[in-house]
Amino acid sequence: MAADAPSAPAAPVPVRDRRDAMVLLVAWIVLSIIACLLVALVWGPHMPPGRASSSAASQSVDYTVLGTMSAPVIVGVLLYFGWAVVFWRKPKGDDTDAMPLHGNTKIQATWIIGTSAVVLAVFVYGTIRLIGPAGAGSGEGPQPIWKPAGTTTSSLTSWSPGTSNILQVQVIGQQWAWTFRYPQFGGFETTQLVLPVNEPVQFNVTSLDVIHSFWAIQLGVKADANPGLNNIAYTTPQQIGNFEVRCAELCGIWHGSMFTTGQIMSDANFLAWTKTEAVKLADVTKLLPPYALTYDPTTIPAGKIMQQLGLTSAGGGYYNPADPVQP
Amino acid sequence: MSLPARVATLVVAFLAVVAGGIYVAFGLIGQKPAVEDFRSYAQNGSVDVVMMTTPQTTVTNKPDWVSYFIKNPATGQFDHTTYFEVPPNTTVHMTILGYDGCTPLRNPLWGKVSGTIGNVEDVSYFNKGATTPAEPVQVLNSWADCGVQHTFAIPGLNINVPVASPPTVEENNNLCGTSPCVGTDPSSGGAPHSIVTFAFKTPSTTGTFRWQCFIPCGGGFIDGNGGPMGTPGYMMGQMEVYT
Repeated sequence: MAADAPSAPAAPVPVRDRRDAMVLLVAWIVLSIIACLLVALVWGPHMPPGRASSSAASQSVDYTVLGTMSAPVIVGVLLYFGWAVVFWRKPKGDDTDAMPLHGNTKIQATWIIGTSAVVLAVFVYGTIRLIGPAGAGSGEGPQPIWKPAGTTTSSLTSWSPGTSNILQVQVIGQQWAWTFRYPQFGGFETTQLVLPVNEPVQFNVTSLDVIHSFWAIQLGVKADANPGLNNIAYTTPQQIGNFEVRCAELCGIWHGSMFTTGQIMSDANFLAWTKTEAVKLADVTKLLPPYALTYDPTTIPAGKIMQQLGLTSAGGGYYNPADPVQP
Repeated sequence: MSLPARVATLVVAFLAVVAGGIYVAFGLIGQKPAVEDFRSYAQNGSVDVVMMTTPQTTVTNKPDWVSYFIKNPATGQFDHTTYFEVPPNTTVHMTILGYDGCTPLRNPLWGKVSGTIGNVEDVSYFNKGATTPAEPVQVLNSWADCGVQHTFAIPGLNINVPVASPPTVEENNNLCGTSPCVGTDPSSGGAPHSIVTFAFKTPSTTGTFRWQCFIPCGGGFIDGNGGPMGTPGYMMGQMEVYT
């Protein structure tokens, strides 16, 4: 009969573990301070999307704050991982079992409370930061919860710089181009996106076909463009210059080519531009449908000849009834 | 089976799957139509390009799809492709023979001519052997009348040209029935069509510029945006600018 294996003696807490814990704690604190300073002071000023608009600037601050907050966590994980790999490695030839682990209420409670506090802090911070810059440049749907302070929509047919009446710019996505409509300047529509500096802007984003996403990268504005829906986003351009506009929703074969360059200019230059464009586009502006927050291409008022041909909309199905392919 | 043999089998199987994926991605999906090369035909800084729109594509296995064709500068034949090469810093004199019928634009903005020299196109109409005098046009109304069939747009160069359509009910009911629409037969090249001419300058730098139609003319597809609208060689293509 084989003899029972000798039971393992109760393992005392080795002095080396306490020393390791102390070294780890001190190293974590020192490295965290260094990492936080690096993120906040060195990386922070270069955080995308930059400072071209109020929403972009606030996003850069948010990235810096969140990056700084997460630095100690990352440092802690990497430090513990590295320490374990280097110093707690099992010696060659050591086949003994590891020390059995038992529940430790203190450690578990500290972990749960600590991680909950971090996550809740990020949640509270993020929510507050959404309110301040009026949605932080994101699409808020047709009835936005947060609006820029001190702005009104007192007139949809005129606009002057320096007033509370917010500038309206309609963003229309279609396969595969962006167009922009300015209802306060006669309702002209153009392929150029031009904005005045330091004037709050309300983007009314919609689509004529599939789902697109209006992403003005350096402005920190991103809003889905849905057919039949008006998605509102706000920002205030703060720097004269150019910015990039891209589609951020896979929308078909030329999705990758659906980009353009926007421009931020002075109030005077912006007003001059609107006058020039309104004149240049006058002949096609009168052909556009009345300004609306969404457009339904299936209810196009077809002319007499089109009606005789059976064409009543721009929905795509215009073939002879005998055609085997019908919508 | 030994361990090395199993490993070798796994590696071979993995590579076969990867190779298959690459073949599908580049060989089938990424297959592009033939490219008409106009570069050697440019003289004194200008080159002539002739294209055609057709109500169907009977030369392919998608006979219901509308399509563009390009006239091969070497053979004079219309080839089923939408890819062409032109030299940089060159004036392209484009002629589009519009054999398709009218369709309303989803966005009337694309009825405006832009990006061409003078922001204008010249439009004439052919019907029953006679051609009307060419008239300069800056905007076409696709909603009020039977005015536009397709557009030729190069968004990267801000070029947009609405292609006029045969304007009457009678003409739209007697469109070209084969493709390409050539010859003098009333059911083919002699069918009613528009003749749209314009010129634009290619950029001074080389590059590839995609072009497309802005009419949702993919009949049978959701909102008309699929099929020929999303397939290279039909209602979209590339202008490749190379020396």
